[in-house]
Amino acid sequence: MSRNKKLLRRLPKNIVLMVISLFCVFPLFWVVVAATNKSVDVLRGTLIPGTNLAENWKTLVSTYNIWPALTNSVKYSVVTTFVSLVVSSIAGYGFEVYHDRGKDSVFKVLMLTMMVPFTATMIPLYQMYAGMHLLDTTVGFILPEVSAVFLIMLFRQNSRAFPKEIIEAARIDGESELGIFFKMYVPTMKPTYAAGMTITFMNAWNNFMWAKLIMSNDATQTFPMLISNMTAGHYTDYGELMLAVLISTLPTVIVFFALQKSFVQGMTGAVKG
Amino acid sequence: MKKRMTTLILSGILSLAMLAGCGNAQDGGSTSGQGSAGSSPQEAAGSADSQETAGTGASEGSETLTVWCWDPAYNINALKIAESIYQKDHPDFRLEIIETNGEEINTKMATATTSGVFDVLPDILLFDDSGFQSSVTSYPEVFADLTDYGFNYEEFSPGKVGFSTVDGRHYGIPFDSGTAIACYRKDILEQAGYTIADFTDITWNEWMEKAKVVLEKTGCPLLNGLSSYNQMTIMMQSAGGSFFDKDGNPNLVDNEILREVVEVYTEMVKEGVYTEETGWDTYIGGMNTGRIAGAMNGCWIMASLQAAEEQSGLWEITNLPKLDGIASATNYASQGGSSWAVTSQCSNPQLAVDFFKATFGGSMELYEQILETGAISTWIPAADSPKYEEPVAFFNNQPVFSLITTYSASVPECYVGVYFRNARSDVANAITNIIYSGGDIDSELQAAQDTLIFEMENK
Amino acid sequence: MNKLSVKKRQSLIGWVFLAPAAFLLVVLKFVPLVQAFFMSLRTGRGSSMEWTGFSNYARMFRDPNFIQTIKTTLLYMVVTVPVMIILGIILAVLLNDSKLRLKGIYRTCIFLPAAVSLVASAVIFRSLFATDGFVNVVLLKLGILETGYNFLGHPGSARVILMVMRIWRWVGYQMIFFLAGLQNIDDSLYEAATIDGAGRLQSFWKITLPLLKPMILFTTIMCLNSALQVYDESVNLTGGGPGYSTMALAHYIYNTSFVNVPNFGYSCAMSMMILIFVAVMTFVQMKVGDRRE
Repeated sequence: MSRNKKLLRRLPKNIVLMVISLFCVFPLFWVVVAATNKSVDVLRGTLIPGTNLAENWKTLVSTYNIWPALTNSVKYSVVTTFVSLVVSSIAGYGFEVYHDRGKDSVFKVLMLTMMVPFTATMIPLYQMYAGMHLLDTTVGFILPEVSAVFLIMLFRQNSRAFPKEIIEAARIDGESELGIFFKMYVPTMKPTYAAGMTITFMNAWNNFMWAKLIMSNDATQTFPMLISNMTAGHYTDYGELMLAVLISTLPTVIVFFALQKSFVQGMTGAVKG
Repeated sequence: MKKRMTTLILSGILSLAMLAGCGNAQDGGSTSGQGSAGSSPQEAAGSADSQETAGTGASEGSETLTVWCWDPAYNINALKIAESIYQKDHPDFRLEIIETNGEEINTKMATATTSGVFDVLPDILLFDDSGFQSSVTSYPEVFADLTDYGFNYEEFSPGKVGFSTVDGRHYGIPFDSGTAIACYRKDILEQAGYTIADFTDITWNEWMEKAKVVLEKTGCPLLNGLSSYNQMTIMMQSAGGSFFDKDGNPNLVDNEILREVVEVYTEMVKEGVYTEETGWDTYIGGMNTGRIAGAMNGCWIMASLQAAEEQSGLWEITNLPKLDGIASATNYASQGGSSWAVTSQCSNPQLAVDFFKATFGGSMELYEQILETGAISTWIPAADSPKYEEPVAFFNNQPVFSLITTYSASVPECYVGVYFRNARSDVANAITNIIYSGGDIDSELQAAQDTLIFEMENK
Repeated sequence: MNKLSVKKRQSLIGWVFLAPAAFLLVVLKFVPLVQAFFMSLRTGRGSSMEWTGFSNYARMFRDPNFIQTIKTTLLYMVVTVPVMIILGIILAVLLNDSKLRLKGIYRTCIFLPAAVSLVASAVIFRSLFATDGFVNVVLLKLGILETGYNFLGHPGSARVILMVMRIWRWVGYQMIFFLAGLQNIDDSLYEAATIDGAGRLQSFWKITLPLLKPMILFTTIMCLNSALQVYDESVNLTGGGPGYSTMALAHYIYNTSFVNVPNFGYSCAMSMMILIFVAVMTFVQMKVGDRRE
């Protein structure tokens, strides 16, 4: 088969993927366009990037206290991601490497928590929080997300690929169990951590319901909360709103971009029956 | 080895605790004892009274009040002006305003009540008038009874005060007017051969005929709205109608006002002269982009209209159409004003009331300053301000503020009811079924009433 | 140290490793769940609640709004889950081609919607489908429509758009899982199949699908779970309207606790229904998945 023929054979495939990609990206393109236009033009549905970006930025910064919200969101998401990766990966490792019948049944029971609708546990959880003075705190934000069954599962499955011989050899060398985990397991599992990081960060960043419930002032509110306030006025400036939306989307996009190669790799073996 | 592990886990817990410490920025020291769950409004009033005696002479304790409200350009702006006015005589007074939207306030109030944790609440909350009574009845522990603090309620229009009054007790401080107005695009009406006079003091039947002509000649629907919610409420109110009878029982089936409203509304949608929107953005967008030729809502809608600067001079306002064949029908209604509430958590309700009395209940200066954002007073003396007589360029130099003030006087009083929101959703659902699934009005209203009764029995 | 004690010790260390995570899950999920169950046995307005046994559960079956919202939720589930899975697999197979040049760009583009916040997606879709929005403008220009159609104002089309938005947001996310699954499949399997004369379609049915099965099972459970808990789309895109026509069950539950006159016991009972639904479905999935093994 000649080169050209090969290219030609991929053409339909490329067209399909291109159309779908465009469909997926178009709304985002629209956000960018809207962020650079005046509110009225946004509502008219313009598709041409405008020149109002600086103006939108000025009004956004002068009307809203965006920096605390932004730093809070970054802080909550980063801490959540970090702590939850530590807690969940140790647990996933523990479930797999030291597995026995008891641990397997515990794991099955914990799996059930994935099915618990948040609306059901919201009020009891809130009561517990108030009792422990966790409202308006970073710990309050991260706690419900720290131990995620999905992550534990991810690490449990991926641990199967981690050679037992390495563990045995290290034990003979007198390495502690925790030492094995941190010095050998963590470095080899980088892709899994990347995958876990992407997913946890995205969830934490966009977490809205819980933040809305427990955060009650300007000093602790998150960026999605700020965006939600922007639509509550008698008049919403869409240029300004879309700029805020764009800003709120950037961190997740950056994280995904930075980690995407390892992300796919890390998911590999996440679920192998 | 074991030791090292324990140390590690311990240090982990410790670092968590430290995080808790640094993030522990609870809102201002304004909170006091927790309201006990299950107390009645009377009990709440009692506790408020005792707090009053403890806290009189605002010199003791903090003079900072925390407020939850929304909209920086409107409510928050008004509050900040009021703060600076009050500070002239009370230099130590300070407001801590936390932007919280109405839905969030509702959620947090419900969470606080259900979990019995009240100390998260601020001193002052802003409420939409249509949900005020319902909130007081559902969450009696949240509200302080303000009846005996000497606020000058008699200087406000009775209809407005009624929104925040439950069983003859006052739980709110009236803020802005929700007097409903009809706004039309002068230029679009002209294309169809009409002027604003053709839409003044008319009935809905007349309106419908003219709206069809406008649609035919210009392609513009005359109105749009967020589903049927606001439109239906305005029309009901204009005839003094309610979803409930005097005893608070659902009254949807044998309600001639509601039936007329549903008939007019469904016709509006079917004829295409009213577009149902699903979001605030497309609702306002419809007017700002010139897709829709008019607007009918509380007078605060003027603020939204004026965002389209290039439409300046093209808008005019007038009163509402009135329902045909209804004895109590008028051309006036009210929609979506709001009132302040003082919570049971406020350690110094007297200070809060004094602040309101000196500002929202007594400052001409405040009302003159917030007029430009479109916030119109419900404090009757404010209407005497010369500012209210001034023509407004955006509205083709009509003296809109004094017009609205005259409309306010004619707004009929209505019974809102605790289950207002449930009733509104159920009727909206009935309307949807009538319009889109060909349901007939009798059976749909009957179904809505059954649903409402079901919701109210609560067992 | 004898061998038994070493084993015992290691097992103990295992328990210590998983203890923090398990502890947190128990405290933050199971305990509140049990509390919620007890709340579901009480009824009343706001804070004044009394014990009424299982009356909240009986109430559901007489509640027209509950029945309508659960029907809508099931519709969303039945339509979106298969579409997401099938489309996800197709996209992953298309992208799992080492010679495809723009692979990385396509993958990123398709995944990006998952990064967009819900407020934004709702605003975007609302304006795209507004009466004078982009979609109507295009349809008018193509002569398909004569006047702008109010997509979100009609129950049928509003439901469709809600589902489109859901698929748009999540299909890339599913695709990533399948891509990962595909990378586990050894290329030599396909080579062997080609030598045996199997076509592409045949090797897809005979090799790809069977080997992806665990991943399909897993994503399906995740999708079903999230479909039954649809909340954000219903709140942000349509507000549940017109009427109750697009309202999902979780949205109705939220309204019952926070928007309408609150009845928290009842909304807990409805949440328990979601839980039961999800549990049953997961169970069936697992069983079906096992049997074909």
